[in-house]
Amino acid sequence: AMEERPYRSASGAPIALRRRQHSASCRELAVRCPRLQLRSLSAVTSAVWLAAYGLFAISENSMVLSAAIFTTLIGFIIYLHFVKVDQESLLVIGSLGIQVTSSYASGKESTTFIEMGRVKDVVINEAIHMQKVIYYLCILLQDPGDPQGISEVVPLFQSSKPRLDCLIEVYKSCQEILEQRKTAPQSS
Amino acid sequence: ENSPAPLPERAIYGFALFLGSWFGFILYLIWAYVPETWLFSLGLTYWPQKYWAVALPAYLLVAVGIGYILLFGINMMSTAPLNSTHTITDNYAKKQQQKKFQEEAIPALRDIPISEVNRMFFLPEK
Repeated sequence: AMEERPYRSASGAPIALRRRQHSASCRELAVRCPRLQLRSLSAVTSAVWLAAYGLFAISENSMVLSAAIFTTLIGFIIYLHFVKVDQESLLVIGSLGIQVTSSYASGKESTTFIEMGRVKDVVINEAIHMQKVIYYLCILLQDPGDPQGISEVVPLFQSSKPRLDCLIEVYKSCQEILEQRKTAPQSS
Repeated sequence: ENSPAPLPERAIYGFALFLGSWFGFILYLIWAYVPETWLFSLGLTYWPQKYWAVALPAYLLVAVGIGYILLFGINMMSTAPLNSTHTITDNYAKKQQQKKFQEEAIPALRDIPISEVNRMFFLPEK
């Protein structure tokens, strides 16, 4: 079963949450980030090229213009490959673990897998971030030897920054899978 | 013992500070405005250069301005990042002891784990 619903990011941009139920204990939650805006792209390019033309008018050196074109091209490719995230997804498999995937605009995908033994819980945490208090979803990791303590915090959906309503949906979906851990007997 | 009420000692301290600050101000004005030759003729030859009468206030004002930005920056640096455990718990919460549950008494104050708080807020109880 698959469903997609629109939400808003923390800055107000439209995002979409897609929920897929692969089986009773396997669920995939994908948040699609706001698209690259044509007007911001044109604004940045025009600003850089106008500045380069101003430098050319002062220095009479035509290399400035070619350097500006080169810089914008290389900068745009680097931005698409390393910065601009297209989709962030969470794959929760009940007995196995949690897989976090970030797909970039250039097509690159980076994944992290956390085995279920290390996962303590998935919670919505509030923290101070740049003069604002934000809600964000995070995975609490535990040391296999110390089940009471929290060894690490892995924040999720850092680029799409969904608002609390979207986070609550993702939280409820994850908790349904994580609760099965307590009822199903673990074989150690 | 530590009340802010007026006392005779405090009045004396206040008056001494009042006289001292007036004295310091008049001394600063003399240093800045009285010509060097007049000071030399009085025998005061080893006073600092008059340059500092302008430089020190300028340094002080720039330091205050930088202090605003510095404090802002120090605050931002001290804020725990989003992936730190300090946003979830701290030493006091980890070492807290469980107090025994008493019937009909208000439960003791304690740091509730974030998983429990989340369940209470976001999972509807049926």
